[in-house]
Order: sequence, then structure tokens, then C-alpha cells
Amino acid sequence: MPPVTEGAKKSLRREMEALLGPGAVLTDPDELLVYESDGLTLFRALADFVVFPTTAEQVSALVKLANREGLPFVARGAGTGLSGGCLPAEGGLVISLMRMNRVLEVDYDNQIAIVEPGLVNLHLSWAVGPQGFYYAPDPSSQQACTIGGNIANNSGGPHTLKYGVTTNHVLGLEVVLPDGEIMWLGGKTRDPQGYDLVGLFVGSEGTFGIATKIAVRILKKPQAVKTVLAVFDEIDQASEAVSAIIGRGLIPAAMEMIDQITIGAVEDAFGCGYPRDAAAALLIELDGLAAGMDAQAERVIQACRDSGAREVRVARDEAERQGLWRGRKSAFGAYGRVSPAYMVMDGVIPRTKLPYVLRRVNEIVAAYGLRVGNVFHAGDGNLHPNILYDPRKPGEEANVVAAGGEILKVCAEVGGSISGEHGIGLEKADYMPLIFSEADLLCMRRVKEAFNPTGRCNPGKIFPTRKACVEVGPAYRPHPIEEEGLAQRF
Amino acid sequence: MGAAHVLTGVDCSLYVLEGRTPEAVVFPGSVEEVAALVALAGEEGIPVMPLGGGTNLGIGAPPARLGLVLGLKRLARLLEHEPGDLTATAEAGLTVGALQAELGKRGQWLSLDPPGAERATLGGVLASNASGPRRHLYGTARDLLIGLTVVGADGAIVRGGGKVVKNVAGYDLPKLYIGSFGTLGIIVEATVKLRPRPDVDRLVVARFHDVKEAGGAARAIMASDLVPAALDLVAGEAVRLLGPGGEAGAALLIGVDGILDQVEWQCAEIGRLLAPLGLAETRVLDGPPRDLAWRALGEIGRGGTEDVAAVMKWGVLPAQLAEMLDKGAAIAQRNGLRAALTAHAGVGIATAVLAGDGAHGNAVVATLTEWRAMVGGAGGHALVEWAPLAVKERVAVWDDPGPAARIMNGIKARLDPRGILNPGRFVGGI
Repeated sequence: MPPVTEGAKKSLRREMEALLGPGAVLTDPDELLVYESDGLTLFRALADFVVFPTTAEQVSALVKLANREGLPFVARGAGTGLSGGCLPAEGGLVISLMRMNRVLEVDYDNQIAIVEPGLVNLHLSWAVGPQGFYYAPDPSSQQACTIGGNIANNSGGPHTLKYGVTTNHVLGLEVVLPDGEIMWLGGKTRDPQGYDLVGLFVGSEGTFGIATKIAVRILKKPQAVKTVLAVFDEIDQASEAVSAIIGRGLIPAAMEMIDQITIGAVEDAFGCGYPRDAAAALLIELDGLAAGMDAQAERVIQACRDSGAREVRVARDEAERQGLWRGRKSAFGAYGRVSPAYMVMDGVIPRTKLPYVLRRVNEIVAAYGLRVGNVFHAGDGNLHPNILYDPRKPGEEANVVAAGGEILKVCAEVGGSISGEHGIGLEKADYMPLIFSEADLLCMRRVKEAFNPTGRCNPGKIFPTRKACVEVGPAYRPHPIEEEGLAQRF
Repeated sequence: MGAAHVLTGVDCSLYVLEGRTPEAVVFPGSVEEVAALVALAGEEGIPVMPLGGGTNLGIGAPPARLGLVLGLKRLARLLEHEPGDLTATAEAGLTVGALQAELGKRGQWLSLDPPGAERATLGGVLASNASGPRRHLYGTARDLLIGLTVVGADGAIVRGGGKVVKNVAGYDLPKLYIGSFGTLGIIVEATVKLRPRPDVDRLVVARFHDVKEAGGAARAIMASDLVPAALDLVAGEAVRLLGPGGEAGAALLIGVDGILDQVEWQCAEIGRLLAPLGLAETRVLDGPPRDLAWRALGEIGRGGTEDVAAVMKWGVLPAQLAEMLDKGAAIAQRNGLRAALTAHAGVGIATAVLAGDGAHGNAVVATLTEWRAMVGGAGGHALVEWAPLAVKERVAVWDDPGPAARIMNGIKARLDPRGILNPGRFVGGI
């Protein structure tokens, strides 16, 4: 892709300003810098333009303009992604959806909300909360990440163990296709006829077009919640407890594991009351009807004790519950206490393989002379090893990347996946052959062509041939929103 | 493959569909055999129609040519079941009933309850996106399928998704094949999420004077703290299938499952909540009577219980259902026909069945046409799930797909460029 000349840039800028109004187009290199990375700061790529439309028609006009000029384009939400998925890998336009952030309609009778893509995830639950409803997918960045970004990545979160991920909650999408046409895929009613284009679009990482309206299910808040913290002296015991709870016929709303390094960091930073000498802690949340809740909690407690838990605590009230969750949710901010930098990994394994894989993760990272903290969605086998390192030490970042690759190989070997919720983006495109054959990838490419035949819509992502002009490394930097304490990583 | 697994000539007459006789019927015994057959058909330009248990074979426009019918009944193994992972992988020709029996031995189930589960195969249920009453709480195939293997139009074996319950690597291909009716590939294996079987599973049958009251009661349940597994609304002729019940014109079938304390609280709470809403009678069923009631409901419109003139599926908003059922019954009556109406009240999916005995073709066509206009006018969609060929020649099976047809056609053209996979039966002529 030849760079856009300064003259062409000026005239395009004027054209975009005529479309969007003043203050909605950035071309100044200093301003563009803010948009060169997402939450994974290892990759950087600079756009030629960052634009801020407020309507689907404006998005469509921008996409048509980009096509006319042969420029690539990519949609961007809050930039909390963790795979480089919203980077302008080949320059061109970054279409920020942050000014399209309204809740357009809430239909409580039918339990559906229609929102714009730039709406912050948590703000939807705030909007419907007073009526006793909430939006179930809860990525840990939910205070900052947007529903549109969640659509791109099919985001999960702690409570997806029971409630499913984003795709299980999306009914319909108004999209701007890569050629600029605006159309609805699906709608408010179930089982729309034809191929499940909504199901395909969700998780397509911005390569099928740009969602401009999103129809989601909203759920009634559960009548009761019970939160349990189980403390273990051995990590294997905690892993076994996960299977034991499932084995007793229970599907908790969430089941999160936190290891010793992470507990230490959390206690240093926030003092949430987790025991520092524990090898691992499991945070288990049950929700649903008040009737029978105690009996279910008893089953969970017994399963933990039978697996060797040395202590099991039940939160007595909402304040205690929030305290326990603060320990889990503040883990990422806390790693700064124990390491200058860390790289978060995202792999999935069958949950029965947890003891083996956690041992392998520790061995792999130790072999590179590094340390790893684990805090993750144990219930659905979604690992998040955080490799701790010092970017000032020469070669250490390369070791982190190498160790990360080996961890993904282990996940693939035990029948797992290379991403549970962060997406493939730029980061993992070259690892796709670990779990997909040539035939599998060819099928995906053909589906992509049906939506995005020119490839201009978010090029360079997902597929393992890379020709993108992306700068890799060298150093980890906290993302601006992380520095502001606005978001957790996952 | 062996001659025993190939039918030709007069032996194909058992597999006649919409008046067309297949040119051959084959029953491959392995994924590789499926791949070789599809590749061969592709070279020869012969259309291929996959066949599971045949329970949803009536859905679709009449095929222009019925070439090779590819039966999957010999691919019927449960390949993996790891209870600790709550996942299972099975071949596509395994019936859902047999799968559930195997999973049940270890206290688990696939939380999908399509009608005709003893015959319906896993592959067929996925390809037709079949579901049942428990979709209210547990969702449909798109919420449960985590990985699948298909044989593509070129004979390539393609895998999508994986074997883990959470996975965002690559495009979500399993979603594409759900409800694609064999037009993009032959599903040969699938991996699904499972659930523990509930300790207790009961059915509350609540009868009401009319649909309006029953619909109001369904909405009251939706707005309450109750968490039923199923919430079905039954109206018109369908109420008779629930057995004697006085003058009740409608009923709610409410499934509640879980541990005993939860189920008992819910049963009691349902009674309390519905008492002031016109409740005429409630019965709580368990064991075989519960299973019989659910089965009777699922079999409406599937032959067996009565002569059927046509079956239509509607998708509308849940809050519109009662009105649609009421109006729909009136439309049938105006055309001199009787209708049995059932609906999954929480999700807005209805099945409208026209009783057959003596139904005149013109009246059936008129009713289906008016129903489609009614549902479409309310922003919903309507699908003729079954009708005689003479009716299908006058009433479209599918709705007009609208602008999204462009993308659907594009996908079809790229995955099946020669158009050999079950051509002509799907939405928009795909």
C-alpha cells in the first residue's frame, strides 16, 4: 500500500469533514499516535486518518470513500482489545465508533435492547438495571470496552461459564458491509431464515464489516447470589476441585482461579484478604433462585473440601462479595507490584487437563528464566498465564514471546484452542495452523470473501500470511486507559 | 463401500421426496467414504442430499432433481464423552435419543429436546436447527454446538470450532452450518456442550379460558423471578391433546427442573402467580405422564396423531404471540379449517398446524398466505415446515430473504460453486 501523499490527505480530510462535520477527523501524527495500539502494546501501526462518525449513514459514506480511494479501513471501539485486532495494519482509516454510544431502545416485555456499537458494556447494565435487568457478557474490561468491540471479538468474561459468550446474547445487527451497503442481519425475532449471518459476524474481528446497531438479549437479574472462596495448598487440588464441582452436577455462574504470585501482587496492592501462603484460590459464584441456594453452596463447599481445600469462606453479604471479587478483578493492575511488565496469554483447554497444563505452563516459563502469574476462568478452561518480565533486559521480551508460543502449542496438543476470548488479530495469526488445517482455513477465507471480497476491511488479521506493515515491539507500555485505572485486561 | 450400502432403481422408491425419486441412495460407513462420494458427485455434477432420520425432510422447496441421497445412519458412534469437560463428540448419524441414553448413563445430557428424538439424528437436528420446549432456558443448537466436521462440496474434510467450551480462534464456522439444510456441506461429526441432568424435572400444566389469558400468564412468568426450563403456550385444537380439561381454551406448559428445593418453590410460586390471572386448573406432572405430555406436544403436525394439511413455523416477538395465535386461529376458521397452535412463549416461536381431514387445497393456500401476511406485518417471519407438493407449488416455503440474500448467495457460490449440495430447497432458491 503506497503511502497517501500529503496533498491527497488534505483533500480527503476536507471531504471527510464535509461528511462528518468539524472535529471528527484526525490527521495530525501526534493525535494519531493514540490510536496506534490496542491493549496489546506489543504491536503498533499508524493510521492516515482517525474519524468519528455518529450515524450508520456516515460510516457507510466513509467506507465508500475508502473504497473509492483504495484505502483500507478498520473499526475501533475503546481499544481495549488484546490481539492487535483493531490496528490499521496497512494504514488508511480508523473508524472510531466512540461517538455512537446510545442505548436506542429497551423493550422490557421482550427482553431486548438495541444499542449503538460505541456503548460501553457496563453502561448497558446500568441503563437496564433499575428495571431489574442486566446484560450478561461481562468481560473484565467492561468498564471501558464497547459492545461493538465485544461483537468483533465474541467477548467472554467470568460469568460466561453459565451464561455463554457474546454470540449467545446477540439477536440482530445493523451492519455497514465492506462495500458500504447498510443492512440488517437477523433482527429481534429468533430463528431468522437463511444462514446464521449474525453468528458468523460475531467474532469475525471486524473483517466482515462494521456493526452500527446491535440487538441484544437482556436478562432478569438473578434472585440470589452466593460467592465462595476456597483456598488450597497445592495448585493441583484447586484444579481438581473445578472438575469435582462440575462432577456434582453444578454449573456455577463463575469459577475463577488465582495463583500464589497473583495473590501476592493483589495483597501488596489492595489487601483484599486472600491468604498469601496459599498455592491457589478458587472464587466460585452461584446465582439463581434463592430456594435451594444454600443446598447448592453446600455441594460446592463439600467438593472443595474433598479436593483438599484448607479453608472455604462464604461471603456473608454484598460487601464481602465485592471484596472477594476485587481480589480477582484487580489482579492485572496489581502485577505492577511484582514486575515491571507482563504479557497476558489467552488459551483454552478441556478443564480436565488443568493440572497437567498448569504444570507445563510453569515449566515452560521457568525454562526461560521467567515467572508466571495465573488468574483465569477455570470453569471453562480459559487460561490467562501472565508472563512477568523486565522489558529493559535485552532479549527478555523475545523470550516472553517464545514461551507464549510454547504455551499455545501445549493448549493445542491437549485438544484446546489458541484463543478463548482475546481473538487472533495480529498476535496469533501465525499460530492458526496449530489448530486448523489448510482446508479449514481455506473455508474461512472463502466465507471472508463473501463479505469482504477486496480485503480492505481490516486487512492483515486472523490468517497466517502476513504482509502488514506492523511494527513489533520492542517494549511493553501500559495502555493509556490502563494507566488511568479505567480497565482491567480480562 | 460395498453393494449392500448402495440402493438404485426401484429400491430408491422408499426415498421419494416431493414426488421425485432419487437416482441412488448410499449409506457410507466412514467420513472418508462420505468425502469420496461427494467428490465423485461433484465431478459428475450430481446433486447430493444428506439424509439423517428424515424427521425434517419436509422443510424446503421441492428439489429440481433428486440425485444422490446420502444417508448417514451408519455414522452413528459416540466418539468421545468426557463428563468432567461437559462435552461430547459424536458422528452425525447418531440419533439424539441414542445420544441422550449414552450421556444419561453418566448423569449428563445434551440440553436440546427436538421432537422425534428417537429418529432425529444429531446431524439432521443441526442442519435443520431443530429445537424443543427447553430452548426457553437452554437455548438452541447455536448455543450448544462448539465444533463440527463437515465434508465440503469438493470432498474436503473441514473442521470448524473445536472441542473446548470457549473458543474464538477463527470464524465461527459451526454457526454457519446450523440451519443450512445441507446446502454448504455434509455434517459428519459434531462436538457439543453438555449439562448435568437435573435432580428433578416436572411439568406444570396450567389451563386457561382463552389464549389471551394464557398469554398474559406467560408474560407474568417472564417478568417474575421464576426460571422455568420451558414455557409453552398451547391453543386451539392442540389443547385437546393434553387430555380432558373442561372448557379450557388454552394452556401453559411450564417445565421446571433443578434440585428439589428449587423445583418445589417454583411449582408453588407458579400457582400463586397465576391464580389471579384466570387460572382454571393446574396439574403437576412427573415421570412418564410428563414425558407423554411433552411428546404429544412435539408430535403435533408430525403425522401420527392426526391428519395434517400443512404446518407453518412463525417467529415473532414473545409479547405478540397471544395476539398472533388468536388471529391465526380466526383466519383458519374463516377459511373453514381447524388449527392447532403451540408456541415457545418466551422466545416467540410458534408452530401452526392445519388439520387435514377434508381440508380443501384452496383454503389451505389461503390460510397459509394470510398467516404469512399477518406474521410479516408484525415484523416476524413464517416458514412452511410441511405441506403437500400441490400446496408448495402455490405458496412459497420460505420468506423473501431480503438484502441479506446477497451475502448468503455469495457464501453458497464460494463453498459450493457447482451447486451440488442439496440445491434449490433453501432460502432464496439456494
